[in-house]
Formats: sequence, structure tokens, C-alpha cells
Amino acid sequence: MNAPHIAAARFVGQRLPRKEDARLLTGRGSYVDDVVLPGMLHVAFARSPIARGAIKSIDLAQARAVPGVRAVYTADDLARFNIDMVSFFLITPPPGPKVYPLAKDRVAHVGDPVAMIVADNRYIAEDAAALVAVEYEAEDPVLTIEGAKSGARVHPDVESNVAQVMGMPIDPDLEKIFAEAAHVVTGTIKHQRIAQSPMETRGVVFAKQGDEITVYLSCQSPHVAARILALDFNLPQSSIRVIAKDVGGGFGLKTQPWREEVATIAAGLLLNRPVKWIEDRLESLTTSNLAREQEFTLKLAFAADARLTGCYGDYALNNGAFPHAPDCNVAVMMFMWTPYKLPRFGFMATGWHTNTIGLGGYRGPWAIESLAREAMLDVAARQIGIDPVELRRRNLLAAADQPYTTTMGLTVEDATPLECLDNLLKKVDVPAFRAEQVAARKQGRYLGLGIAVYIEPTAASGFPVLASDVANLRIEPTGKVTAILSTHSQGHGTQTTMAQVIADRLGVPFEDISIYEDDSSRGGFGPGAAGSRQAVVGGGASIRAADILVDKIKRIAAHLNNANPQDVHIEDGMVKVAGVQEVTRTLREIAEIAYGDPTRLPHGMEMGLEAQYRYSPPPMTFTSAAHACIVEVDAETGFVTIKRWVASEDCGVMINPAIVEGQIAGGLAQGIGQVLLEEVEFDAQGNPTTVTFKDYMLPAAVDVPEFEYTHICTPSKSEGGFRGVGEGGAIIGPPTLVNAIADALEPFGARCLELPLTPSKILQLIEAGRSNAAA
Amino acid sequence: MKPAPFDYAAPDTVEAALEHLSGGDATILAGGQTLMPLLALRMSTPSLVVDINRIAALKGVSRPNGGIRIASVTRQNELLASKTAADALPVLVQAVSNVGHHQTRNRGTVGGSVSLGEPAAELPAASVALGASIEAHSKRGSRRIPAEEFYVGPYSTVLEPDELVTAIHFPDWPADSVKLFREVTRRPGDFALVGLIGSMTLRQGKIDRVGIAWFGMGPTPIKAHQAEAALAGQSASGIDVQGIAELAIADTDPFDDHHATAEYRRTVGRRVFARLLGEALNVRQA
Amino acid sequence: MSEHPIDVTINGQKHSGRVEARRSLCDFLRMDGGYTGVHVGCEHGVCGACTVIVDGLAVRSCLMLAVQANGASITTVEGLAAPDGTLHPVQQALRDEHGLQCGFCTPGVVMSLAALTAGNEKPSVDTLMAALSGHICRCTGYQGIKRAVRRLAGEPQPSEHA
Repeated sequence: MNAPHIAAARFVGQRLPRKEDARLLTGRGSYVDDVVLPGMLHVAFARSPIARGAIKSIDLAQARAVPGVRAVYTADDLARFNIDMVSFFLITPPPGPKVYPLAKDRVAHVGDPVAMIVADNRYIAEDAAALVAVEYEAEDPVLTIEGAKSGARVHPDVESNVAQVMGMPIDPDLEKIFAEAAHVVTGTIKHQRIAQSPMETRGVVFAKQGDEITVYLSCQSPHVAARILALDFNLPQSSIRVIAKDVGGGFGLKTQPWREEVATIAAGLLLNRPVKWIEDRLESLTTSNLAREQEFTLKLAFAADARLTGCYGDYALNNGAFPHAPDCNVAVMMFMWTPYKLPRFGFMATGWHTNTIGLGGYRGPWAIESLAREAMLDVAARQIGIDPVELRRRNLLAAADQPYTTTMGLTVEDATPLECLDNLLKKVDVPAFRAEQVAARKQGRYLGLGIAVYIEPTAASGFPVLASDVANLRIEPTGKVTAILSTHSQGHGTQTTMAQVIADRLGVPFEDISIYEDDSSRGGFGPGAAGSRQAVVGGGASIRAADILVDKIKRIAAHLNNANPQDVHIEDGMVKVAGVQEVTRTLREIAEIAYGDPTRLPHGMEMGLEAQYRYSPPPMTFTSAAHACIVEVDAETGFVTIKRWVASEDCGVMINPAIVEGQIAGGLAQGIGQVLLEEVEFDAQGNPTTVTFKDYMLPAAVDVPEFEYTHICTPSKSEGGFRGVGEGGAIIGPPTLVNAIADALEPFGARCLELPLTPSKILQLIEAGRSNAAA
Repeated sequence: MKPAPFDYAAPDTVEAALEHLSGGDATILAGGQTLMPLLALRMSTPSLVVDINRIAALKGVSRPNGGIRIASVTRQNELLASKTAADALPVLVQAVSNVGHHQTRNRGTVGGSVSLGEPAAELPAASVALGASIEAHSKRGSRRIPAEEFYVGPYSTVLEPDELVTAIHFPDWPADSVKLFREVTRRPGDFALVGLIGSMTLRQGKIDRVGIAWFGMGPTPIKAHQAEAALAGQSASGIDVQGIAELAIADTDPFDDHHATAEYRRTVGRRVFARLLGEALNVRQA
Repeated sequence: MSEHPIDVTINGQKHSGRVEARRSLCDFLRMDGGYTGVHVGCEHGVCGACTVIVDGLAVRSCLMLAVQANGASITTVEGLAAPDGTLHPVQQALRDEHGLQCGFCTPGVVMSLAALTAGNEKPSVDTLMAALSGHICRCTGYQGIKRAVRRLAGEPQPSEHA
């Protein structure tokens, strides 16, 4: 590992204002709906009103007759493309049920797109969509995990409703551990379905100039999208160019173009016209692939001294009809016990198909592992009669325990959950809180403190799509720096953070660097935003590419001055030779020579100042954190007020603390939404009932407290010492808050592990507790 | 989410608006904060949208002779800023400060909210509680409808399709009347889970006049008749606040929905009522 | 379906158009006016991303018909910064406090705050914070936005970062 560059950490570590903000604050961002091309047509979809059934007939005559309608397509029209719907992990042929962009012969969920209208504008397209007449033979839908277990097969071409399954029933050894345990603790966590709800919905513009296909796409990586589209349409990858300049949030939803985007591209290929589809919010809340509907039953075994001896988990995930990829979310099991010393873990993880919208990714898709674990540890602490912090202390990995190989075969090193917890407890005076809590209870006020600890496996590179990122750097003849990276920001600020890294490494002003990451025709493949990786892998690639250039510049300058490359330094864009002030040159002068005057270069040196590095990080880079929050639960109304929240994080070297804290805060806010406010609901026929933002309630400013942060910096072993932080808030947020609410409700003997914890639910717990106490 | 096609007219007199409404299948566009989403979702598909925002006669807050008259296209923020209203009916101003958000109140109108009849909205309940009457015109004539008779169901009033609400009249309440207002919402601007608004006047230590209505507790705003009857004439000290709260809840008919259960609404409503009444009476006794 | 001529002033420039009755103001501003800084987040008036200033007041442009804006003076986010690029105080405050990530909700937030701070009287921090209830942000957790609001109201920030 290279230590952070000694000469100048002038920018890394600084809360620099973002380069992106100038355009985004003045309304000059370029999102997909801002792309307008001559002759562009607009798409709307006619969708199934039933959750399950056969398509008997489709009558398009009235739709076609609407003035301004240019085409109406169904599955048959797109059949010639033989489309495979490939997802983010780039597995071909894609596993699971056959997914057609437009429903073929059957519909499998409410909102299943049956026909697409291409018209002069979206208004007309919707008029025509309303006139598509479809005759269905409706069947009783399977909607829930429970229903999937015994109900009819959701997909005729899939053996059962099991989308994916991994694990084993409890084996005799584990049974023995439970039998001999001093304490056995069980519980079930139920998590509601969540709509990722980026503020910018999905969208695509297809354009073709001759043979060149350009797709403007709201996505999380133009390179991944270009590769997926090439695989989907069986075209050479280089034939599709994907551009994504500004994207209004992705959160795991936009890691692959899905049915509507692909259908729109197919329509464009058929019509040879530019075609645009912008998802509206009704579609976003009901027919973009949603997330998180899952159940997890845990059984934990403890020895008399409260050390964990074993655990078994039974997990189920609602995959809906057409998940991006069939998923039993085994990552939950892989990562669950990482922060703790657990000798034995068994599990069964099952993904189930149902007649609902398919499963999509969402910030930390495996997040329930932390929710379930940390919530159950608090349950265990109460049951055993030990302080919840002390219970964690006895089981957490300390520095001395590492490297530590978990029962799942993960090797944990330089993780600091215990240190983060210690640091947290310096900021949160628990004994003082407990005194305050006792006093408040006497006044009929219910305060609660929740603590959660976790390790996040960031920048995991085990899958081919995640294996590396590439940086193409060049110092232009003008001395300015152009960097083309395989990172991608949907708000992550990589145009700023990567510039900070490169500026430090090269020794040039931050303002002199321009970062480009929006175009699959420039630079090389990378996965963009996924798995909390960009600082680690993009940063690593940027550093290595910069080092190549620094080396070259030094050799050129040394050659020019008959000096030793070791005596050359680049500071603030000036190339200096130690001890010889008069030969200082600007980087521009060196660049002009490199590009224009080969006779002055060292013999045999390639001209120019251009370098590329494809960086492969360690298999996993661990970020550790411990969070605490204090809530007050109003026993009259069941409302929860968050009074304080402290985040104690170790995310290694921070490139830009403001951006790091922004990622944590954004994730925490989403976690708060999951615990208190958000829920996608369906009625008994499978109709979504939370179809606008009036019903699907996102956290507002009043719902989110002012977060306090305290940072440890344990540099990682990756280049630059960075650790990932993008998903963490959404993973550790929910258990921190759930534990605080449970702590507040302790006098009522009440704990609810069915999210969301609405005022109605909480009040019910309180009233039940009061009745029990009275009885 | 684009509306289905419609024709649009923007008359500048009430008469012209009524002419449009008499043709049938017309919808009135006032603030648009409710109608526009309904149009976008194609839940409302009128042939004609009649925009009444340019009718000067429909603007303004006045005190004709006792009480206040709020012309229907008065923006909610205009009511909020109205000194006339603040002096005459401070509880009404408090209610409107809770309607939606600052941005929606810049367009949303008092008449629009009152005539929509959203069960969890503040202004319909304020009208019922405070004894307002709704002035409505059509080509056939005009009438004044007591708010208590105005609401018949969720988003359903006694207005005929050709009628336009031109103003809401609130009677005077003495300046020393006690304000009653509380709403329980998940976040500012959301639909109330439980809401209560009213006014109470005391004379010589006795409750002389009282008007209280619930919102979010049934298919329409609900006047707390039984509670009002029990309070009328009572001495302000020694009131069985819990008992009155029970009577107040007895008139409600809350439903289960995505946001709260009926049981929740009754439980919390009871508490809110008791607390509000108790605080109001203590204030007066102080 | 009726069509109507309209004349509006947008960011100080006169625009004439002919619009279908049902065309929303936000679609008119974006597509006819070219002001793509006006963002469409929900089309039902909850998220606030489409907020613009019409005759001095912050309104949700998805909840107005374009034809209703006939004769009005409208400011969008593109009209706030000075010609030389100097940011409006609201824009500068958000920049200084890292109040944005993806930028999609940002123009709406900017316009609400700009409308409220336009007058001579400095609005209270409570007024500005209350106006934030009309905006949804999915990225930032509102931390920087609230800090910017305090900055604009001249209020101190809460405790320092650890």
C-alpha cells in the first residue's frame, strides 16, 4: 500500500466546494429529459390493470387512429430483436424467467407493459395508450411470500415460485449448539417493500445517425449500460454509445436499463427516428423494479458469558414477477456476522416469485443483515440481562483478532468496529442518558437510545463487472489535465473527489483538472456507481495513472536539465528541480515539449503526456461504523421524534469530508424513511395502492435530524487508503433507529420488528403494554 | 401523467363563468393544487375547464356587516396575511397556516379548499365549526348554504354541477373567544390523521357559545354536537374534560386507511380533545 | 381541445407561444421556453422540484396550466445568477454548505428560497425552514440545505463537526 502522498495533501481531506455545483445550481445540468433532438418522438405504455392472466386479444385500431401517433407496438413487433434482458452482473444468457420488454401472451403483474405508443408528444401518446383495448382472462394472483409458497406458479417456464435458493436446514451440529446454549433468542424481522424514488425517474432517448446508435440514459454507468444493451440486442458493443451527463439519483435502481428503456430503443430501431421515454412518477412508484420486501427469522445461541455460539437464519425475499436478476440475497448471509466473532452460522435464503413488480436493487441490498442482527442483539441483551453495549463488546472483532476469517469464509482485516464504538461512546454519555431517561419516564415521557455497529464490505471486486476501474489521464499541451474515468456520479460528486485525488498526486491546481465520466465512447469499462466503490477503485486508478505521468514528467524535466529525476518536484503546476530555481518550468512548457518537440525528450521516450491505469483493488475494503440515536416516543400519539444522532465512522482516508458526510446523511435519511414512513402497498388483487407521493411518504426536512459525525481514519490497503461510504447510512440507519424506539418502548414490554413503525403500530404496542400491565 | 384533452375558458365575470357552468361537463379551476393532479392522473376528465382566477369580483376579504366575507378566489396565503381576518377570526388564520405548504398556499384558494370537501382538510372543518355559510351562484339564482349542511361525503357536497362558490361567510366570534386548534399530522402539510378546530366564548365564567368540528375523523368534517351540547351553559371550572372528550368522539366515524387505523384516530382524538379543552379552560381560568 | 395564444415574460425575456389548454406550465417552460432547469419530479405537486416564481410568488409549475401564465412574469433558476456568473445568494449559500448532490431537486429549493428572500425584510429562519416542507430531496438528508437556510437567515449553525 502506498501511504498518502507526503509532498502535498493539499486537496484530499478538504471540504472543497464541488465542481458540479456551478451548473446544477444554475439549472444547466443535462439530465435525460433535457435532451431534445429534431424529429424526436415520445413513448407511453399501455399497461395491464390485472396482476395475472392471459392476454386474449389486443385491439390497437383506436390507438393507431389518434392524430400524432406514429406507431403502436406489442411484443410481436419486438420479437425480431430476440432480446435478452441482461442485468448488472452481465450474466448471459440471463438466469430466471424469460423477460420480454413487452408482455407476451400473459401478464404477470399490475402495470406489466402490454403495448407501447410512439407519438409526437407524451400527451398524445397517453391519449392513445388509454385507447388500447386488451381482453384479459384474469387469474387469481400470488402476491406475498406466504402466497408464493403454496400458490400457483407465477411463471409457466419456471419450475416453482422459488426464484433462487441457497443454504441448508439446521444441521445436527447447530441443533446441538442450540440445545446446549445457556441462552437461545429468536425473533422475526419483516421489512416492507420500498420504492427507491430517485427524484429523477428513469428515462432514455434513442438516436441513430447512420449506423451509430447513441442512447442517452439515466443510469449508474454508461459503460455498463452500453455493454448490457449490446448484449440485449446482440450487437457489437462498440456500436452503441451511451451518454449520461447528469443523473438525478440512482440508488441501485438504475444499474441496468430494463424493459421500458429497451422497448424504447427497439422502437427507435424500428422507426429510425429519435425516440424518448421518460418515466412519470406514477410509473416510478408502481412499475420500476422496487426493493426490500423480505422476512428474516433468526435464532441465536449464547453461552453463559453472553458470547455468541451459533446462529441460524431463515430468510425470504419477494422477487416479484420480473426481478432484474433472480435473487435470494445470499449477500445477507455472507456479510451478516462480519463484525462479530460467531463460530457457527447456518442459513436458508429463498427468493420467491409473485405477481407483483419485480425486485430491483437499493442502497445496500443486503442491509437487512445489520437490521436483523443489531435488533436481535438488543433483544438478546434484554433476555440475558446484560447491557447491550457490553454484549457487543464481548462479541465484536477487536484489532487483535484480525485478520479474522468468518464462518462464511470472509477474511476481515483492518476493520475497526470496536474502535468506532469506543469513539461513539466518547460523544454519547450513556449513563447520563439513562438518568435522563428515568426522570423522563416519571413525567410520562419516553426517551430511547439505540446503538448499532456494523462493517460494510465496500469496493468488493469479486464479480467480473466489479473487478476494476480505469483512469485515462492526459496533460494537455496547455498544461491542463483531462481525466476520463470509469466512475459515474448520480450525485456522488466524483467530478470533484477524483479531481482532488489527481490534483494532489500530480501536484497541479484543483481548478486545472476536468473529469469526464459520462460517455461510454470515452475511456474504458467500469461499473460506475455500485457497491460503495468509487473512492476506492476510481481513486486507486486515478492515483496509479497520475503516478505514471509524474514519473514521465520528472524524467523529461531531468533530461532537460541534466538532473536526477528524484530531484524533480511538481508543485502547483510548476516543475521544479531541487536547488536550481532558475530552471523551474510550467507544466505547460513541459507538455508543449512532450507533444511538439520530440528531439528534446529522452531518447526513445514515447511522445505526449497521456497515461492509463486499470486498477484492481483488494477483494474487499471494510468500512466500520457505530451509530447512536436518541428518540422520544410520544405515548399519546405514537409519534417518534429523533432528538440526536451520532455517526462514528471509519471510512479510511476521506477525500472530501463534506461529500463523505453527504453520502452518510443521505443514506441515514433513507433509513429513517424505511423505519418510519415509507411503504409500498398492494390490495388483494395486486393493485398498487401507494401511487403518489401523498401516500408513499418520503422523509421531509423535519424528519431528519442534524447528524453529528466523528471520524476515525484507518487507511485501507488500497491505493490512497480510501474506503467506501455510499451505502452505509442506509444499512446502519434502520437498526440504530429501531433499537432506539424499542428502548423507548421498553416500559411497555413492547418491541415491534415489522417495518414501518408507524404511529398506529407504536400506539398499539403502547396500549397493549398498558393493558398487560393493568391485567 | 398528462391530462386528457379539454377546452379552457377564463371568464372575467361571475356571469360569464356561470354561463360556462350551465353547459354541463365543466370543472372549475381555482388554485389548481387539487384539480391539476386529478387531471394529470386522468381521474378527472372534464370537457371544459373554467378558470375563475381572473374574476376580480371573487377576490378579497371584507367585513360587510358583522362577520367576515372571504371571496372564494382569495389565496390561502392572502388569508394568512389578512389583518381583517387576524382581528376577526384568529383561529381561522391559525387553521389556514396549516393548509399544505407555503408554495401551495400561494395558489390554493379558500373557496377551493372549502368546496372540495377533503375529509382531512382544515378549512371545511373550520367552516363547520365556526358556523360559516357558503355563498353559491348559478344561472338559476343564488343561495347561502350553512356549512353544517354543505358536506355529504368525502369530496362530496350539495353543490350542483352548475354552481360556483363565490364566497364564504363567517359569523363574528367575540375577540376574547378561546381558540381551539390541533392537528396530528405525520409531517407539515400532510393530511391530518386527527384534526380539531373550534371556538369557545365564555361569559361570567360560563360557556356561552361553542363550535367545534373534527377533520380526518370521518367522511366529512364532523361537528361535535354532543360535546357542544354538554358544554353549553356549563361553568368553565369543574368540567369533566374526559367525559366531554368521549362525547366528542361519539360523533365521529373514522376509517382505516394507509395512514392510520380508525382505532388510532379514536384513541388519539379522545386525548387531543381532552388536552385541548383542558388547556383552553385553564387559560380562561388563569 | 382549445388552443390559446400566450405572452409571458421569462427571466426578463418576452416569450410568445400557442399552447393547448392542457399543457402544463412546467412543460411550456422546459419545452417551449427551453428552460430545462425547471425539473419535473412528480407532476402532482408534492416534490417541489418544478418550483418557479410567478409574479413574485413561489409556485409549483406542474400545478399551473401554461395558459394561466398569460401576462405573467416568471423567473426560473436560470434567471437568478448575474450575467457575469456571480451566483445569487441562495445559490451561493447552497454551494458553500454542500446543499446538493444529484441536483434534481435543487432548482425548486433555490426558487422557493429566492422568492422568500427577495424582499427587503430578511425572513426568519422559521419561515425559510417551513418552506422546505414543500420540497423533497432524496440525496442529501437535507443537512446542507438546512445549513444554507440558517446562513441566509443569519442564524448560527448547530454544534461543530467532531
